[in-house]
Amino acid sequence: MSATAETARVITFVQVSPHDAFEVFTDEVDLWWRRGPRFRSGGPDSELCFEQDAQGRRLIERGKEGVFEIGRVQVWEPGKRLLLEYRLRNFAPNERTEVEVRFEEQGKGTRVVLEHRGWEALRPEHPARHGLSGESFSGMIGLHWGDLLTAYRQYASGRP
Amino acid sequence: MSRAVPDVEATLLALSDPTRRGVIELLRFGPQRAGELAGALNMTKSAFSRHLRVLRESGLVREESMPDDARVHVYSLQREPFDGLRGWLDEVESYWTLQLESFKRHAERTRGPKPKRGRPE
Repeated sequence: MSATAETARVITFVQVSPHDAFEVFTDEVDLWWRRGPRFRSGGPDSELCFEQDAQGRRLIERGKEGVFEIGRVQVWEPGKRLLLEYRLRNFAPNERTEVEVRFEEQGKGTRVVLEHRGWEALRPEHPARHGLSGESFSGMIGLHWGDLLTAYRQYASGRP
Repeated sequence: MSRAVPDVEATLLALSDPTRRGVIELLRFGPQRAGELAGALNMTKSAFSRHLRVLRESGLVREESMPDDARVHVYSLQREPFDGLRGWLDEVESYWTLQLESFKRHAERTRGPKPKRGRPE
């Protein structure tokens, strides 16, 4: 899938090697993944990890209410590239977007390029039936990010 | 943001089909007739008209007649839905920007270059 109009792209530079950057990104995901309802939907004490199982690796969030699979790892190239399915809680079981993270050596550090894409692949179960009414579609995407931002604002403004 | 949401959904829905994405790609180079677009995408005109209708209803494209010949209709891209999509993607990017800032801080604190000796922290 190439980068299109529907791709969100964020770039950062870290003063560590690509190998270390990959290791921190994956093995230590719970230590840097931000906390709070905008970033963790499994509760304040939820834990994220890349877990190995019989089918390969997956990113999960383990909270009070159980385990939520954010997505399965499609490509795992330490020091180079990570390709991950990315699901939000309000997605239907067969819906997913994808997140690709590239780790590119640059000088004494690493340029980290993160792309979140595949939004256009989210579609109603029965497109012919729902057409453009958008009701089921809006329920499905929910626009999650809108929900998250609302939750975030409530959280931020409600803090003592 | 909430007001923009239905528009973004209609935009994404319209873009969920490869033929319609093909139309968008072709129109980036300028306005074209429906027949030219159908030909370039190897579609029959009847199957293609449905896709054009979805694109028109989403507001991504507009059909207009040529100034010098009202019988000739051309399609062109409309900016507004792309701006809406862009605004929404900005939200997604701000989410990941915050995440990567946090990742960078953690990575450099634990693996980054050590401060030089003899200098105060």
